[in-house]
Amino acid sequence: MTVLPRQVTDPPRARGEVVLSVGGGPRGTTIRDLRHSGSLRALFPRGPDMQVVLTNTSGGVTGGDRFRTRITAEAGARLSVTTQAAERAYRTLDGQAGRIDTTLTLADGAHVAWLPQELILFDGSALRRRLTVELTGAVSALVVEPVVFGRTAMGEAVRAGQLHDRIEIRRDGAPLYLDQIRLSGDLEAHLRLSAVSGGGRGMATVLFAHPAAEAQLDALRALLPESAGASLVQDDLIAARIVAPDGYALRQTLMAAIRLLTRNAPPRPWML
Amino acid sequence: MATDAPMATATDPALTLAQWFSPGFPVGGFHFSHGLEWAIDAGDVTDADTTKAWIAQVLEHGSGRNDAILLAAAYHAADDATLLSVDATARALAATRERRIETEEMGAAFARIAGALLDRPLPALTYPVAAGHAAQLAGLPQVLTAQFYLQAFAANLATVAMRLVPIGQTDGQTVIRDLTPLCRRIAEETAEGDMDALSSTVFLPDIAAMKHETQATRIFRT
Repeated sequence: MTVLPRQVTDPPRARGEVVLSVGGGPRGTTIRDLRHSGSLRALFPRGPDMQVVLTNTSGGVTGGDRFRTRITAEAGARLSVTTQAAERAYRTLDGQAGRIDTTLTLADGAHVAWLPQELILFDGSALRRRLTVELTGAVSALVVEPVVFGRTAMGEAVRAGQLHDRIEIRRDGAPLYLDQIRLSGDLEAHLRLSAVSGGGRGMATVLFAHPAAEAQLDALRALLPESAGASLVQDDLIAARIVAPDGYALRQTLMAAIRLLTRNAPPRPWML
Repeated sequence: MATDAPMATATDPALTLAQWFSPGFPVGGFHFSHGLEWAIDAGDVTDADTTKAWIAQVLEHGSGRNDAILLAAAYHAADDATLLSVDATARALAATRERRIETEEMGAAFARIAGALLDRPLPALTYPVAAGHAAQLAGLPQVLTAQFYLQAFAANLATVAMRLVPIGQTDGQTVIRDLTPLCRRIAEETAEGDMDALSSTVFLPDIAAMKHETQATRIFRT
């Protein structure tokens, strides 16, 4: 019997990696190291502050794909990161999960805003995602991670899918905040449970680590809708959770939160 | 004849656990509603059925299952470093400030009293980690410990609903009875203490616990 070589039987898998290191200095934030490979690219639009726009040239993520991003902000560096488009997790054809792995490392005095656009889970998608944020000393880190279950504008719900999503913030190597979500099966039915999201298909986590985080708590609470809350979960860390009927409503809240916590407009790709 | 067995095993494990997880064991659980007070105030929980559904989801998809995993991981911890690492994860998992205070204060009280009963001082761990560690030291069966822990968690929340919804005493006890098989199943499913299986998807109780921090009139601390 003949055995086909693996590359013939397996569908092609997308791979992509961005490794970026930025430093702070008298002339502002500068790139110290930048490597791209595969279908992940980092673009640097012109502007007063350093902005990074991550682009997935494969157009989305599906079973077996692997994307890795490693960003290091050295002392005094200021950086905001977003994605050119919403990340689409397509239906997996063979049940395998796609993987997205991101690590942000902040040295003392660094300011990083991680502001990707929505992750949109298509019906039938399977994704394992991990975001690790390593903090040292007095830093400012803003993390906004929106997830939309189904193409809500088309009325699509995720009747079958898998999502393992982990967000961890570590300080000096020890866990400071951990949010872990493991869902599989009929995600729409799960969302409809009264204590899950009451049918809301948009969900976001907002984390703000800053020595003076507490000073923003009241203002953040004031702009959140009824189905959202914020807490000073550690002395220098705000955690907010937002549930929304769909991606559009979620985005309105997140844009207001980004304006408040960055004292700036959301990155341009958010506005298009 | 074996007469040098440790004290703890001279008692039926179920009786020791009944003492540790009785409402009279002074860990202060009655101070905390886990966000249920807000959910009742907001009209999300209005009767025995919605009480049962809310508690069942928190058990299955939120703190209940996570605490059972942490309890098992603490029970199986081979050394102090592993135990403290489980405890650090337990603190990081707290979705809100009041939740963190809840698990820290209940855990510290539990460790103080259980340590006195075991004649062995216990560190101030979070509640599920302290419970798992104490059960291991006392030679108690892990899954049964988790069942008692989960049932006490459910019973405490049912008591909140009895006071605030309010639902009747018999309805409240029926809710606890109906949730007991779920407590057993979760205790069995989490027996390995697999930390990778930690997951919380009950977003609305987390949000309720956040809003409770600014609730104008409140009886419970969470």
